[in-house]
Amino acid sequence: MASVTFDHATRVYPGSETPAVDALNLEVADGEFLVLVGPSGCGKSTSLRMLAGLEDVNSGRILIGDRDVTDVQPKDRDIAMVFQNYALYPHMSVADNMGFALKIAGTPKAEIRQRVEEAAKILDLSQYLDRKPKALSGGQRQRVAMGRAIVRSPQVFLMDEPLSNLDAKLRVQTRTQIASLQRRLGVTTVYVTHDQTEALTMGDRIAVLKDGLLQQVGTPREMYDTPKNIFVAGFIGSPAMNLGQFKVADGKANLAETHIPLTREVLDSLTAEDNNEITLGFRPESLDTTTEGDVGAFPVTVDLVEELGSDAFVYGQLANKEAAQAITSGAGESQMIVRVDPRRPPLKGDTVWVKIREGEQHHFSPATGLRLPS
Amino acid sequence: MTAPVTGPGVSGLRSGARARRKARWTFDNISFFLVFLGLPLALFLLLVIWPFIQAVFYSFTDWGGFTQEFDIIGLANYERLLNDATFKTALGNNIKLAIVVPLVVIVVAMIFATLVTVGGRGIGQTVGVRNSGFYRVVSFFPYVIPAVVSGVIFSKVFDPSNGLLNGLLPEFLRQNWLGQVSTALPASMFVIIWGAVGFYMLLFIAAIKAIPAETFEASRLDGAGRLRTMWSITLPSIRENIQTAWIYLGIAALDAFVYMHVLNNSGGPDNTTLVMPQYLFRLAFSQNQFGYASAVGVAMAVVTLVFAGVVFTINRLTGGTTRSN
Repeated sequence: MASVTFDHATRVYPGSETPAVDALNLEVADGEFLVLVGPSGCGKSTSLRMLAGLEDVNSGRILIGDRDVTDVQPKDRDIAMVFQNYALYPHMSVADNMGFALKIAGTPKAEIRQRVEEAAKILDLSQYLDRKPKALSGGQRQRVAMGRAIVRSPQVFLMDEPLSNLDAKLRVQTRTQIASLQRRLGVTTVYVTHDQTEALTMGDRIAVLKDGLLQQVGTPREMYDTPKNIFVAGFIGSPAMNLGQFKVADGKANLAETHIPLTREVLDSLTAEDNNEITLGFRPESLDTTTEGDVGAFPVTVDLVEELGSDAFVYGQLANKEAAQAITSGAGESQMIVRVDPRRPPLKGDTVWVKIREGEQHHFSPATGLRLPS
Repeated sequence: MTAPVTGPGVSGLRSGARARRKARWTFDNISFFLVFLGLPLALFLLLVIWPFIQAVFYSFTDWGGFTQEFDIIGLANYERLLNDATFKTALGNNIKLAIVVPLVVIVVAMIFATLVTVGGRGIGQTVGVRNSGFYRVVSFFPYVIPAVVSGVIFSKVFDPSNGLLNGLLPEFLRQNWLGQVSTALPASMFVIIWGAVGFYMLLFIAAIKAIPAETFEASRLDGAGRLRTMWSITLPSIRENIQTAWIYLGIAALDAFVYMHVLNNSGGPDNTTLVMPQYLFRLAFSQNQFGYASAVGVAMAVVTLVFAGVVFTINRLTGGTTRSN
C-alpha cells in the first residue's frame, strides 16, 4: 500500500493546444479513497490513465509511494484497474480472469487458487468461477472486474466509472459495497466518476476537475459547505445550488425588490473588477418560506413541484420577469430551486416568498468566480 | 401479374395461422427463387459439379485427351497412382508446403500485425511501433504483385551466376538456389511466404483492431509483456481468423502451381519442387494422358478435403468453436 502523488502532471494530446490535464497537483494518502469528479471532458479519466501509465505524462511527475513512476511501464507499477466496460478476457473463465495477473507473476498454482477463492467469497462469486464472462449478468461481470483487482492486492486501485453500466438500483447497492470493501482492504483508491452523488457518498476526499484544471480538493463536507468557486458550488450537491447575480449598493446585495444585507468583510473583499456586483449562492435547503415584506425575501413563481416523500422541491423562478434570469440553478436558466415542507407543498402557479437562512449564503466574486471570505 | 394477393384473412379462420407462414406461389416468390437461387445453382452445377463428375468419370478411362476414343478401364488408373513414385514425391512436396507455408506465414504475419497494432512502447496508450502506418502499406506490396511476376523476379534473384542474392552474399555462401536438391524447395517456399505475409498481416491487423483497447490495457496492467499478451490475449481472441487463414493458406499450398511452375517448370532437381498440379499438367498436356491426369486431380481433391478436416478437428480439440459469439 502506498500514497499517490501527482506533481504538476500535464497531458497535452497530440494536435491539441490546450492540455487535457493541466499541471495537476494532488496527493492521495495511504489507504485513502479519493474520488475524481467533474463533467465529461474535464480530464478526470485522463488523470487516472496517467497514473495507470496508459497515457503519457508530457510534463511533471507521478509518484506511487516514494517511487517516481512517470516513466515506468504499467505492468511494473503494481496497480489494478477496474474499467467502465470491465475489460474481462472473454475466452477465460472467471477464475482465470481473476488469477491472470498472479499467473504472470509466477505465483504457485495452489496459492492462486486459494486467493481467487477468497476473493470470490468476498464478492459472492464462488458458484460462477468456472463460467465465461458472457454467461454472467452485468452486475456479476462488474464484481469479477473488482475481483480481478483485489486478488492481486496491489498498491493502488484505480476505478474508471465502474458503476455506469449498471442499472440505477444495482448502482446504489454496489456503491456501498465498493466503499465498504475499500475501507476493509485499506488499499489506496482513486475513483473516477461524473456523478457527484457517487463522489459525495463514497469518497474520503473529493477532487473536482474542470477543463483539465483542479478546482478544489476536500472532504465531502468541505466541498458541500465551503465550495471554493462558483463551478464547485454549482457542481456539488443535488439538486444544485441556486446562484444569483446581485447589484451591490448601500452595503446590500440587490435584485429587483430583494435586498440582502452583506457583512463588512464581504464588501471589503470586492474589487473594482467586480463592477459593484456579487454572486450569491444558496442551497435549496437554505431557504425558508416566509411572508411578503420580510427583509431579504424573494417572491418565487412555482413552475413545478417535485415530491420525493422525505422532501419536496419547488422548481420556479423569480416573480419579477426582468430579474428572473439573474438566478440560475443546475442546467436551468432562470431557475430557482427551493426545498419546502413535503406535507404542505405549494401548487403550480403559486407565488411563494422565501428567504435565505441567516449565514447560509455563499459569496463569490463575479470577476474571478472565487469564494469571498465571510 | 393477375395472381390475386391473398392476405392472411382470405383463407379463412380455419387455416389462417398456418397460411401466414406458408410460402405461396406468387410471381414475386417464384421470380425471387429463380433469380437468387436457381441461377447461381445452375451455374454452380454446370461449371463446378458437372466438370467434377466428368473428371471422376474420365479417371476411370484411358482417354488421351485429343481424340474421341477411349475405353473404360475401371480402377486401373488408381492402381497405377498408388505405385507412382513421381506422384508420391509430388504429394510429399505438397504436404511439406501445406505444413511449412501456413505455419511460417501465420507466425510472421502475427508478429508483424502485433507490432503495428499493440506492440509499441510499453508506456502510454496502446499503440503500434513508430511509423506503423508506413510499414502496414509497405508490407502489402508483395501481395499486389501477381504470383507469376514475383516468380519471375525471384527466379532472377536466385540465379546462380547473375542473381542478386549471390551477388550480395560472400563467396562461400553462394548457392545454386533453385538448382540443387537441398535448397530448391526452401527457396521456393520463401517466395510463396514472401508473397502471402502482407495479406495475412492485414487480415490479422483488422482482427486485432476489433478487440476492445481496454482488454489490452487490462492485460498490460496485469503485468503481461508483449509476447505474453500476444499468446494469452490476442491469439485466443482472433483464433477464428487464424483458422480461416490456415485453411486458405493450406489450400493455396496444396496448389502452389503458379509459383512452382515459374520458378522451376521442370519440377526442380530430382523433382524436389514438383507439386501435384504440375504433375497433373504435365500428364495431361505433354504426355496426353487425360484419364490418368483426372485420377491425379481426384486424388488432389481428396487430399484438400482431408486437410480442411484436419484443421477443423485440431481447432475443435483445442477448444475452439466454428461459430462466433
